[in-house]
Amino acid sequence: MVLTSVFSLFLLALVAPLVTRVAGRYAGWVLATVPAGWAVWYAGFIARVGEGEVITPASLVWVDSLGVALSTRVDGLSLMFALLVTGVGALVVAYAGGYLAGHHHLGRFYGYLIAFMASMLGLVVSDNLIAIFIFWELTSVTSFLLIGFGHDRAAARTAALQAMIVTGLGGLALLAGLLLMGVAAGTYEFSEMLEGGITLGDHPLYIGILVLVCLGAFTKSAQFPFHFWLPGAMEAPAPVSAYLHSSTMVKAGVFLLAKFSPVLGGTEEWAWTLQIVGGVTMVYAAFLAARAVYFKRILAFTTVSSLGAMVMLLGVGGPGEAAAMGFLLAHAMYKGTLFMVAGSVEHQTHTKNVEQLSGLMRIMPVTFAAAALGAASMAGVAPFFGFTAKYLMKGPIPEAAAGSFLVIGVMAMGIFMTTAALLVAYKPFVGKPNEAASAGSEAGPALLLGPVVLSVAGLIGGLMPGLFVQPLVASATAAVTGDAPEKALSSSIGMINMGTLLSTSTLAIVLGVVFYAVRDMLRRTTGLMDRLDPMLSGPVVFQRVLSGTLWFGRLQTRLLQNGSLNTYIRTTIIGFIALVLGLGANRLKNAFLWQDAERPSLLGMILVVLLIVSGVAATVFRYRLAAVAALGMAGVASALIFVFYGAPDVAMTQFAIETLTVLIFVLVFYHLPQFTSFTGRMQKFSDWVVSLAFGAVMAGMVMLAVQTDMAPKISGYFSENAVPLAYGRNIINVILVDFRAADTFGEIVVLGIAGVGVAALLSVSGRSQNPTKPDGGVA
Amino acid sequence: MTAQLLASLPLLVPMTGLVLCLVFWRWVALQRGVMVGVALSLSATAVALLLRTTGGEVLAVRLGDWPAPMAITLVVDQTAAIMVLLTAVVAVACTLFSLGGIDRTREHSAYYALLCGLFAAVCGAFTTNDLFNLYVWFEVMLMSSFVLLSLGGRRAQIEGAIKYVTLNLISSTLFLAAIGLTYAMLGTLNMADMAERLAAAENPGQFTPVAAIFLVAFAIKSASFPFFYWLPASYHTPPSVISAVFAGLLTKVGIYVMIRFFGLMFPASHPDAGMIYHIILWLGGFSMVTGVLSAAAQMEIRRILSVHIISQIGYMLMGLGIAGSALHRAANDGDPGGVLAGAAALALAGTIFHIAHNMVVKVNLFLVAGTVERICGSGDLNRIGGLYAARPGLAALFLIPALSLAGIPVLSGFWSKFLLVRAGLVAEAYVIIGVSLFVSVLTLFSMIKIWIYAFWKPAPENAEPHNPDRDPTVGPMRWQYAGSLFLTCVTILIGVFANQAIRAARIGADQLIEPRAYLDAAMDRAGEPASADPASAGEGVAR
Amino acid sequence: MHLLMAITVGMMYATGLYMMLRRSIVKLLIGLVLLSHGSNLLIFTAAGLSEGNPPLIRPGEDGMVGPHTDPLPGALILTAIVISFAILAFACVLVKRGYEEVGTDDQNAMNTTDQ
Repeated sequence: MVLTSVFSLFLLALVAPLVTRVAGRYAGWVLATVPAGWAVWYAGFIARVGEGEVITPASLVWVDSLGVALSTRVDGLSLMFALLVTGVGALVVAYAGGYLAGHHHLGRFYGYLIAFMASMLGLVVSDNLIAIFIFWELTSVTSFLLIGFGHDRAAARTAALQAMIVTGLGGLALLAGLLLMGVAAGTYEFSEMLEGGITLGDHPLYIGILVLVCLGAFTKSAQFPFHFWLPGAMEAPAPVSAYLHSSTMVKAGVFLLAKFSPVLGGTEEWAWTLQIVGGVTMVYAAFLAARAVYFKRILAFTTVSSLGAMVMLLGVGGPGEAAAMGFLLAHAMYKGTLFMVAGSVEHQTHTKNVEQLSGLMRIMPVTFAAAALGAASMAGVAPFFGFTAKYLMKGPIPEAAAGSFLVIGVMAMGIFMTTAALLVAYKPFVGKPNEAASAGSEAGPALLLGPVVLSVAGLIGGLMPGLFVQPLVASATAAVTGDAPEKALSSSIGMINMGTLLSTSTLAIVLGVVFYAVRDMLRRTTGLMDRLDPMLSGPVVFQRVLSGTLWFGRLQTRLLQNGSLNTYIRTTIIGFIALVLGLGANRLKNAFLWQDAERPSLLGMILVVLLIVSGVAATVFRYRLAAVAALGMAGVASALIFVFYGAPDVAMTQFAIETLTVLIFVLVFYHLPQFTSFTGRMQKFSDWVVSLAFGAVMAGMVMLAVQTDMAPKISGYFSENAVPLAYGRNIINVILVDFRAADTFGEIVVLGIAGVGVAALLSVSGRSQNPTKPDGGVA
Repeated sequence: MTAQLLASLPLLVPMTGLVLCLVFWRWVALQRGVMVGVALSLSATAVALLLRTTGGEVLAVRLGDWPAPMAITLVVDQTAAIMVLLTAVVAVACTLFSLGGIDRTREHSAYYALLCGLFAAVCGAFTTNDLFNLYVWFEVMLMSSFVLLSLGGRRAQIEGAIKYVTLNLISSTLFLAAIGLTYAMLGTLNMADMAERLAAAENPGQFTPVAAIFLVAFAIKSASFPFFYWLPASYHTPPSVISAVFAGLLTKVGIYVMIRFFGLMFPASHPDAGMIYHIILWLGGFSMVTGVLSAAAQMEIRRILSVHIISQIGYMLMGLGIAGSALHRAANDGDPGGVLAGAAALALAGTIFHIAHNMVVKVNLFLVAGTVERICGSGDLNRIGGLYAARPGLAALFLIPALSLAGIPVLSGFWSKFLLVRAGLVAEAYVIIGVSLFVSVLTLFSMIKIWIYAFWKPAPENAEPHNPDRDPTVGPMRWQYAGSLFLTCVTILIGVFANQAIRAARIGADQLIEPRAYLDAAMDRAGEPASADPASAGEGVAR
Repeated sequence: MHLLMAITVGMMYATGLYMMLRRSIVKLLIGLVLLSHGSNLLIFTAAGLSEGNPPLIRPGEDGMVGPHTDPLPGALILTAIVISFAILAFACVLVKRGYEEVGTDDQNAMNTTDQ
């Protein structure tokens, strides 16, 4: 049934364009019912999973020899994510119907969005590492299509490319990491690792696995220095941002780290890597958020910051994991709200810059209410869920390895988050409606449903944690730590001093407000960041690396593939000589030292000298007919050698073919120019060196073969059986027409095809003849 | 059907087609019919062969019924059957495409006959066990491809053809010389016989320099580093369907022959095996990197795809290299638990799988490129665009094989990547695996580049108006779509039914590593303990 | 004698390659012919030279008597000669067409198909 939920969504994605055509403007509502239904279905598990139960349906074996199966496992972590994926997914599909109403590619959009949903759901419920990877890559592909949805704009195309390459890079690292995990653990089934109590911390491959898995997770979850693709991905339509870039895809990295922490976590390397990378990302991105001006960009940076915080908390371990889970759930709700609000505002007012808006509160009151609730949660104001999350967070951090640094970091994040919250929920809404704001109107029901539901859920989560927040967070934490659910939360709650918490929170909020007030100054004084950030990490580096690679590719192409045939021949032969000498220089050298028992005969020597002389003559003659004559001479000489050594048949053929060859040459040369010498003396000299080296290698080969006789030759059979079995006395002929007739058949085919080719070339030549060249047509 | 007949059909079917096409010289419609018939019967033959060989049976036919090893023997094991099947798949797709996409002039210049000749030669090379016969099929293949390449005779084609012809002739010359040397040393032309004789020889290292010549000859055929120059110079010049056939078949024959030859002649027990496979591994690594870098720098669809072949060939060499090195290490340093042997089998299976997958996907991409060129009048990425909005069907037909090539899951390319990477990691070949993963990202980049420029980017304003559907010199476009659609379905099906496909590749790999059955079939030793003929008496030496 | 023949084979390959390395494309054709001479002689020499009888069975006898030249290399060479002739004929016409299209027989002028 769990797999069915995944497959049904894939199926829905396939039919989405059709549904869109049939259902028209209600398509969003229709399509949203399916994920909504699954959300309800998954919600039914909250109680059971909250009691520590793990649901493991039967798996579907895919490739048995490799241990790849579509096996599923729903524990607290998976359940929380499954609910987010389907629940927020349903809201977003409905939202998209309003946001993109009338768009001519809306059907495709639904298809991609729901396909993404299915992939993401598959990712979070899978138990098999390879299945996880498969769905992981599918989320990359579908998100590529979603980010590039507005593909008429160059920025959207670039952003899609960046996102795809960065997550693709991470995906490959992840693949290697998962495969190594499989090698180290002896299975791809994660549940088997858990049940077997396998921890890989001491395995010799551990560092490799950790680095690769972290690369995969960090790229997907936009951790520093890979964070740049996420703000870029804001080119995507708002529903995509609200879904992929707040609650689902970017959290896949966090999900993976959380899921794997029982197997990979608990080591120094794990703690330091996650704390440092997460901590830096958290502070850095929060700061960038506080000084951004575009609605969605602010949100994107806060998202990166929050993801950093989650990674950091996972690195802290123990109670930090509970905090990470709580924060994750809270973040999904308020960030989903705010992204949808941003989309609605943009949709209604056609303005993206928060500084250019004011007074929207009167025009879009419901939207404002949702925004306010979400922003309060984001700022960590009590009693919102965001506060609870913060509350969980403050406890374990001072105990962590990088404790003092992290305490400051969390504080800084709190401040900047408050500023960002004010920027998105206060600045555009309060005051007098300006021109841009007055142009808008309150959004329709499709655009309102999502923000309202999510923001209210955030409020309820803070007010009545027992309703769904506590069981979810507790069981998710239990899945990560391996403790029982009730124990998982209590241990972290006990660590907090309420007084400190309230005072630091208040301080953060106050400072955040101060920064909001002086935000213009903040932006101006830190203007350097505008140039620094891209240089540190962003699109510029990406572009540089890319264009560097392309430059290198072009350079290499120019060097290797320069268009000159004789360079190609030269390189090929030099490569040949190098390979042969590399594999057998010694043997070839020894071959020359062999003492031949057979004395050279006078006639043989004369023929050999004749052959060499005519060969060399062919190369030095400047007149083409002389060269052809020398060539003919060489042919005759080699034919005579065949006669001399008892192969008259070969000689006869050689004579015949030689005659024909010379004839063809003369005919063709009639149409071709005289020899021209294009090369200088040095080139000729070096060509001779290469040629003679090549000749020497081949001569060495002959010598080697002459003295190597590993087994008797099979030709005795032909001599013995030519008459009795094949009724022929000329053994060579018998071999050609009988013993090895297939070769001769192939040879005839070659001749025939060559004939076709010559005819075709000549006929084209005849047709395309330029009348000014009357000598060319006939041959 | 008897095993003998079945094993000779891959050669006989297209040969018959060739003859019929020549007979029907004047009736192009009949030639089309013949071509369709050849493609379908070749597919049926291949399926039958695959089913027959799945159980480990190896089919052999000694042409003329002369005793082994004197006769030219065609041998079909699982790997050969897979290759024939893929050839048939390519034949079906390219035939479909040709019905709509090849111009009338070429059809009248023996196009279908040449195609049949090419398929016959490729099948001959896949099945023959005789080294000189292999040379003959290579020459038939080259000759057909020469003519196909230069038909039409535009300047670019002629220039490309001259380079192609010259460099391939060097390969043929080297190959021929190596055959002569091999015969001088081992006294036989039957590859199975050669393998057994070499294994029994006192000083098998004497053969290694000759093997180096074979390596270079096959490396030129398969366009691996540093012998690939002919490929980027020529592959993009003929009509796309001809490029597609070349891209799908020619280089793969080179790789296949390399696997077959070195697998037989250099088993782990050969003293120089480690060195040979190490070199192959490095050739693979450099091919991957140079190919993908050049591809990334290109701006024309078919050039990108052509150059990219080199990179894919690198993957195949890598698989062979990993497998050979792992087996060699296992034989010399011991292999507790059979880990290395398992990795080797996996790597070789991955290579076979990759060849098969690549044939399907590469041909498809070339066919789509042909359709794009027909619609837009150019393949230059800077001059085309807007196809995603205008032709969503074509976009899907491009995107699926492109993602498959980049190894995105569920499609066939993912599994070959998975097999190779896993085998490499188990065999601890970390460097080459790292390189291959990096190359994989650039592959993805190249494919996305085509997608972004040709499909997403709006069409440039100066694009000339063009009505591809009413071109009197070629057939209707729906046939072109049909060819691509067929191959797209194949790549999806291979991905979904990966279990069966991997099992077949694994059987093939096991047969290559432990070629007992192949040797017995090629040497006609079915059932009898020792062969009776004089020349190979005493040759039943265990490898 | 084997050494002499080996050197001859080597020279055939060397001269053939040298001709192929010229930029004039006509010389390339001559080079091809020299290379194929080299290959034929290589097959012939490597299999072992013997100034014995040709592999012809005298009337009245059932098989060869006494030492004789190995017939198999001869058969291979015959096939190879014909095949290389076929290819040469095609190459000649191709080169002629190339000259007509490009207007020079300089190989380096034929570089429009590469980058």
